[in-house]
Amino acid sequence: MVTLNASDLSIRELNVKIKELAAQFQEITVVDPQARHNIGVGILQHATIKIDGSVGYYAASLMDGPEVTINGNAGWALGDNMMSGKITLTKDAGASVASTMRGGEIFVGGNAGARAGISMKGGTLVIGGNTGFLTGFMMQKGKIIICGDSGEAVGDSMYEGEIYIGGKIGSLGTDAKIEEVSEEELIELWNELESHGIKDKPRFRKVVSAKKLYHYDSLERLEKTLI
Amino acid sequence: MCGISGIMYKRSGEKGLAPIGRDLVNMLQSMVHRGRDSSGITIAGERNEGDLIIRIWVDDCADDREILKRSTDTITTLGGHIENSSVQGSFLRLDVRFAGEIRQLAESLLTQRGLELHSIGKSSEVIKDVGTPSSIDSRHSITAIQGTHGIGHVRMATESRVDISHAHPFWAYPFPDVTVVHNGQLTNYHSMKRSYEDQGHHFQTQNDSELIAVYLAEKLSKGASLNHALEESIVDLDGTFTYLVSTENGLGYAKDQWSAKPLVTMETEDVVAIASEEVALRRVMSQEIDRLEPQESEAMTWLL
Repeated sequence: MVTLNASDLSIRELNVKIKELAAQFQEITVVDPQARHNIGVGILQHATIKIDGSVGYYAASLMDGPEVTINGNAGWALGDNMMSGKITLTKDAGASVASTMRGGEIFVGGNAGARAGISMKGGTLVIGGNTGFLTGFMMQKGKIIICGDSGEAVGDSMYEGEIYIGGKIGSLGTDAKIEEVSEEELIELWNELESHGIKDKPRFRKVVSAKKLYHYDSLERLEKTLI
Repeated sequence: MCGISGIMYKRSGEKGLAPIGRDLVNMLQSMVHRGRDSSGITIAGERNEGDLIIRIWVDDCADDREILKRSTDTITTLGGHIENSSVQGSFLRLDVRFAGEIRQLAESLLTQRGLELHSIGKSSEVIKDVGTPSSIDSRHSITAIQGTHGIGHVRMATESRVDISHAHPFWAYPFPDVTVVHNGQLTNYHSMKRSYEDQGHHFQTQNDSELIAVYLAEKLSKGASLNHALEESIVDLDGTFTYLVSTENGLGYAKDQWSAKPLVTMETEDVVAIASEEVALRRVMSQEIDRLEPQESEAMTWLL
């Protein structure tokens, strides 16, 4: 295992070192990150990275493969555009966690800010606490599991995917609706939580797209003239 | 994009004044990536010899010395007495004994072309300039100033020009000690500004953020509490905003209904620190304590 002290390095130097060590299959621990931005960005292979302390914006974003554990808080857009891999955050995430995520898993032990899972295109986002305003905004695929309460306008303009909420729903967003959760789904969700050390078994409710904003069959006026 | 920060030492009454200037410069410098065209701070709760601290800035085109002399004459004519004065380039700082009406004082000073009033406060002052926090600190020795609380701003201009006048904080003319720093854009700025001007309010710049200061001044002058004024602003102001306000004995924030601009806080028994990013909080809070992220339509105040 190799320990990198982030306070001795520029973020670019730190990320270059992380990539070099990952290529050698070393386990990496980053200490003293001081909530700086862009830590662990663009790692495109399997790696085990532990960050001791809070990180800033875009931490562990644009990544494909690594397992990242962060002991602290994260700023905006943790795991932005993640393709595969796993992020475990022990405390709170800022706004837009898992934005445009395509695969893999992100677990937030505390609360998440506004627009969690905005434009998600795959993968699973699990929030141990509550989420803020516009959770799952314009979500296209994937799964968001919220153990606590959600903010206002959950699933606003979502296309596909599922948002499970264990606590109170602030309000439903435009074109979002609540759907029945089957026993099999519940057991699957509880197993998922157990894998993150959560023993509670909330009676989740599911929010999906009502698909009333789907207008794929209606062509624009100009398009009609072309047919 | 801009960066904002605020800090208050809640027990400075009993424990003595705190290094507000140093803390704000450190916090803002850590967020310099959010804007580096201009920077500014308000330091409140300073010890001063007079009744008022007046901060004047003289436009490059105007004759500095002549204006500074005329300003001191104006204050004296209105019954004021200058206890102390210091000049830093085109910036003038005055400690003044003055028992008259502040609006009248401000109006008389502003009759001079090229003069701008950055602030009038009973125990606070605004220092703002173009450049990064550390560069304006080297010109204005901000680090040395002590107080009880304050707010600061690093600016990346989006809606109005880059110069000293358009840098933050904005003083809530003519309300002593009330100043504002803002991250965002106000979309009903022009209509609200016109209606305030019709009511006789004065604007010194074309920066949309100045509207928030005038808005709060109007609310406070009608007897609203600071917290109430902040809460009402979330409904009345349109656009994206997270802003901080500093008053004679208070510090507060308000955040828009879209939660569009970031803000995080950390608080202990002694200190509350607020900033756009946690990276700034880490510069002043050494303990590992919980970080809170205010959500949409939230306002909060701390009073000494």
